[in-house]
Amino acid sequence: MIILWILFIGSVVVLPGTAILAFGWALRHGEFEHLDKTALSIFDEDEPVGVMTDRFPDSDLHPEPQAMPPASPP
Amino acid sequence: MNAPAPSILNALSPSDIEDVAERRAVLAEIDASCRNTLLLLFGASLTWLLLGTVFALIASWKMHAPEFLADISWLTFGRVRPFHLNAMVFGFSTQAGIGVTLWLMCRLCRTPLLYGWIVDLAGLFWNLGVAVGLVGILAGHSTGLEWLEIPPYATPLLFVSYALIGMWGILTFRFRRERHLYVSQWYLLASLFWFPGIYSAAQILLIMQPVRGTVQAAVNWWFAHNVLGLWFTPIGLASIYYFIPKVIGKPVYNYSLSVLGFWSLALFYNWNGMHHLVGGPMPAWLITVSIVASVMMTIPVVTVGLNHHLTMWGNFKKLKDSPVLRFMVFGGMSYTVTSLHGVLLALRSVSEVTHFTHSTIAHAHQGMYAFFTMVMFGAMYYIIPRLLKVEWPSAHVIRVHFWCAAIGIMFYLVPLTLGGVLQGLAMNNPDVPFLDPHKYSVVTMTLPYLRMRSYSGFLLAIGHTAFAINFIWILARWVKTLRLPQLATPAPSL
Repeated sequence: MIILWILFIGSVVVLPGTAILAFGWALRHGEFEHLDKTALSIFDEDEPVGVMTDRFPDSDLHPEPQAMPPASPP
Repeated sequence: MNAPAPSILNALSPSDIEDVAERRAVLAEIDASCRNTLLLLFGASLTWLLLGTVFALIASWKMHAPEFLADISWLTFGRVRPFHLNAMVFGFSTQAGIGVTLWLMCRLCRTPLLYGWIVDLAGLFWNLGVAVGLVGILAGHSTGLEWLEIPPYATPLLFVSYALIGMWGILTFRFRRERHLYVSQWYLLASLFWFPGIYSAAQILLIMQPVRGTVQAAVNWWFAHNVLGLWFTPIGLASIYYFIPKVIGKPVYNYSLSVLGFWSLALFYNWNGMHHLVGGPMPAWLITVSIVASVMMTIPVVTVGLNHHLTMWGNFKKLKDSPVLRFMVFGGMSYTVTSLHGVLLALRSVSEVTHFTHSTIAHAHQGMYAFFTMVMFGAMYYIIPRLLKVEWPSAHVIRVHFWCAAIGIMFYLVPLTLGGVLQGLAMNNPDVPFLDPHKYSVVTMTLPYLRMRSYSGFLLAIGHTAFAINFIWILARWVKTLRLPQLATPAPSL
């Protein structure tokens, strides 16, 4: 029975407890400010908003602007 | 264009990258730093995927033709089935997930994979551990504990390898150059912490100092359920949150919802697992806590589902053009369906019918294949050409892969779910015998559904083979570009 209590405390107290600690860290570090800006952080000049970044290799059948990844360094 | 060589000293002073040229150079540097590691992880994961598929077919066929390969000890059902499960969970899914995690962490942190050779070494040891474990299962050394069948002598290899890989993911985060976290990073970071926690707890309580009696079942279900929800699910959701907006070129519909989805998953998911023991000799309150937590999971599931599907709203025609989008959207929709289905299955009234039936097997495959595996396929279709700077050789083969996987898994899920419910109703009906070849019985009524499952397995196998062919083909093209640079191979139109 004691194992069940350990499991219960681990699941209900320890794991959510660490989640709450992480939540506190996020609050202190301003992770919940400027959420709209954060949503845009995966886009950049080469792959901006409004541009598809993946196509089938034979996609020239359906021409549409497409982003180019940065060139390989030599 | 060459960026300065990555160093820990540089990374100790992270700063946002403002310069466009520098940003491009960093992205190229990131892909170059990840290339060997990810090719190793993805290549090995595909090898296990093919091997696991062969063993899945054998196990499935034995369910309706038990005499098939029955006189070869290492190919008996009790060994073939755990081989399939562990090859898929630890060979394919975990390695593919780690590969995608590392690439996403590097991209989102804008940091190259530092000292990648250490992760390469860890990857080799991981595969050695999986190989030793699977051979051990075939030799009859399985622990007999579901999802933990790998014999104890192989698990230290897995643990040390994971510790290195997980630490590298966290170090990449520590040395990030992008200050704010995208929601995918939350999911990935959490999964990197959660997996070793639940895996260690299960190993200690079930293998090293095994608990006794029904408590084993409690620990086993706690692990099996949480490894899906706290390891594979966060990686899958992190991938969807990155790739769908990235591919269609549109930010996620509501970023606040995505934050709510993550934190509610973090708070509620780990209470789950005990609902699989409804009706078993366990304290009722423990099962009730799990059922309540399962119902609470509606919050993250609905928020994530709304966000994914509303992000796609107005962009569904793009599915025609993008292989990554097809796999991601299929995976995202499957996540919504399988999670809500899971909430239903957790209820006592439903579980009394579906538990101990093939419906549970269908539900597990809905989560692990229709959701997670499809998302991993999509992620690999996006990442690999960027690592190699070579386009996928055949669009036709990609389409074969997608349609075989999509139709195959639907052909698997629908009959097996339906057959499982009918099986449960038959089991609860005292007028239906358990086994009678001449009339409707619990065993014989499941046979048509089990045969359909085997046939669907062939479709899935064709899809996996198509993917492997394309993977080897693109590698061959890449090697060719390395060997013959003077022939001026055309630049890929990625």
